[in-house]
Amino acid sequence: MDFKTLSLSTALCTIAVPLIAQEACVGSLGTLNVIAQGMPAVTALDAHLAEFNDKWDTEVKITLLGENERRAKSRLDASTGAGSYQVIYIDEANLAEYVEAGWVHPLADVVPDTYDLGDFRTDLSNVATVDGVQYFAPFVGGGDVMMYRKDLLEAAGIAVPTTLDDMVAAIKTLNDADNGAYGWSARGQRGSGMNVWRWTPFFRAMGGEWMDGDAPAFNSAEGVKATELYTDLMSYAPPGVATFNWSDSVEAFRGGQVAILIESDVFGPWMEDPAKSAVVGKVGYAPPPAPLPSAGWAHGWAISKVGASEDCEKTIAGDFVGWATSKEMEQNRINAGIASDIGRVSTLQSDGYKALVPQEYIDALLATGPKTSLLIMASPAWPEIGDNLGLALEEVFSGTRDDVQGALAEAAFFAEDSLARLK
Amino acid sequence: MTRNTFVRLTLVPAIALLATLALVSIGGAIWFALSNRTLRSPDYDFVGAYNFLRLLRDSRFFNALEISALWEVITVSGTLGLAVLLSVLIYETVQKPLWRNLICFAFLVPVLLPRVAAAFIWRFMYSPSLGVINYLCGLLGIGPVEFLADPSLALMSVAVVDIWQWGLFFTVIVLKLMETLPRDPIEAAMLDNARRWEIHAYVTLPMLKGPLISLALVKAVESLRSFDLIFVMTGGGPGKATETLDLYAYQMGINMGGRISYASAMSLLLLLVTTIAFTIIWKAGKKWAA
Repeated sequence: MDFKTLSLSTALCTIAVPLIAQEACVGSLGTLNVIAQGMPAVTALDAHLAEFNDKWDTEVKITLLGENERRAKSRLDASTGAGSYQVIYIDEANLAEYVEAGWVHPLADVVPDTYDLGDFRTDLSNVATVDGVQYFAPFVGGGDVMMYRKDLLEAAGIAVPTTLDDMVAAIKTLNDADNGAYGWSARGQRGSGMNVWRWTPFFRAMGGEWMDGDAPAFNSAEGVKATELYTDLMSYAPPGVATFNWSDSVEAFRGGQVAILIESDVFGPWMEDPAKSAVVGKVGYAPPPAPLPSAGWAHGWAISKVGASEDCEKTIAGDFVGWATSKEMEQNRINAGIASDIGRVSTLQSDGYKALVPQEYIDALLATGPKTSLLIMASPAWPEIGDNLGLALEEVFSGTRDDVQGALAEAAFFAEDSLARLK
Repeated sequence: MTRNTFVRLTLVPAIALLATLALVSIGGAIWFALSNRTLRSPDYDFVGAYNFLRLLRDSRFFNALEISALWEVITVSGTLGLAVLLSVLIYETVQKPLWRNLICFAFLVPVLLPRVAAAFIWRFMYSPSLGVINYLCGLLGIGPVEFLADPSLALMSVAVVDIWQWGLFFTVIVLKLMETLPRDPIEAAMLDNARRWEIHAYVTLPMLKGPLISLALVKAVESLRSFDLIFVMTGGGPGKATETLDLYAYQMGINMGGRISYASAMSLLLLLVTTIAFTIIWKAGKKWAA
């Protein structure tokens, strides 16, 4: 056999083997069970499911649940070995638990290369990755973006802040509470996904670490410093900020009351909605000023090792995840006017997406990507630890207690118990 | 078949159903409370009274108990106070049946509003920067007032919404009860030159003692189920300022912690405390009404 024949045979095998494997699996799985949360990217799939069902002669059944119920059901399905779901919906808060328990396949092992896994946004892939291996295909998520009022900064002769110190100075200068204009807004309401989520970048920027060996360490000097700065900035925010959730904060900004806001980047398009925003065209977007990192989050689909243990189950479930998060599917959503759930770089660069949001916002997203990572504690006990930390922070923010060190120490003491229960 | 046997037999299915529903859930809660189950894993161990003993050392639990008691006192007394005040006022000032009926109809609207919807509306109205209440306060030169973010105001601010929903509804009931009272004692008091407020304080309201006690108990039971209102308006905050027992049990058992055994122990203690408290109040009320 000469080199030419060998090359041709290898190429043919590369194409033919997967096709033969695919052919063998058609009709082998009556129902592909998928667990999900009702995000636009999920509900928009309904219109296209027939295409996938025809391809594999199967029926995709998507069970929609609320966030906590979805987490509890996926966990029980995997931990009890029931394996009713081949595809599970996963996020940044429970990835560590699933990987540690060995409940999910590495994405590249089951999703075909044709779906171009390298095209997922870096910020989302980072969150979906543990020890260099990506475990879920993200279709919504992101990091943080600093939104600022271009008109107010320009009028005050302030350059766009690129450092935390600059930002703090700008917030203080732009604050004019007597006239209902505030320099800043933030989340104050307790919760691991609420005030803790926004406080964490400050904590990490100060050099804070969650753990020191096996012991919780967020009651460190860095934790205290971050809390004091966060609390201080709240005095330049609208009244009631101590219990603001993300919605209150975002509404205050797009209501025109706030000059600078750091929030999850998915809220960027909200500012450009003429029906609901009083600041359309006045908002600038930039990455969070250094050394603030960007708090990465992502939701996506993974293939369950428990639910998809057979070859054909893996093949069909892997193809579903690839298909449902593909470039083409994202373009379908863009064509339907859905600009919120974007998982791929190619979509960010597409003309359809550019028509829906300002270029400056897209640039900020791409610039924020490299500084985005998972900032929360990567532990199965995190939801409980974070929730309790959120309570301590809210007590400090609302003035119920002024002993920052004591509040953090109490939360760390509670965390010891939560971590001990994992062992 | 005697009449008594027939009555007992017909009661059996309903009582059996109610007993099953109550006993199975209480039995389940006891079983859970004696183990260390979490939502994270199907594995668990039997831990005896550990969860109950831990509760006795849990300052957040005692805070929740105190907030629950405060919530009960404020909402029950506020609702009944408002109902009595408004019903007397309407009884005295609005004589035309058409107007009375229109007012009653308007007063029924708040209670027909779903709790969650009412909570969102009021949360927005309370907003220090966008809310209408703070706008009005601003016209009077007050504020902005942080109704839901100030720990000293938050519980009262949420209670106002509860009283607004139920106080107006109870006003309609008390007004209709007053309309059914016999006129003779009232006319006798008028002949004795009693003033308006004296007639109500010493004649009409004492005649309504029994129904008012029943209303108070109904409201007390209803107030125990205000989870949705508080959850939407403050989530238990700021800090722990509005965290009632059911909210704490939810936070521990369902929301983030997933410690369903601990939450079950909490629910059982709540059941015990309320059963004792209601029995005492019921007996005292019966004595007072007699």
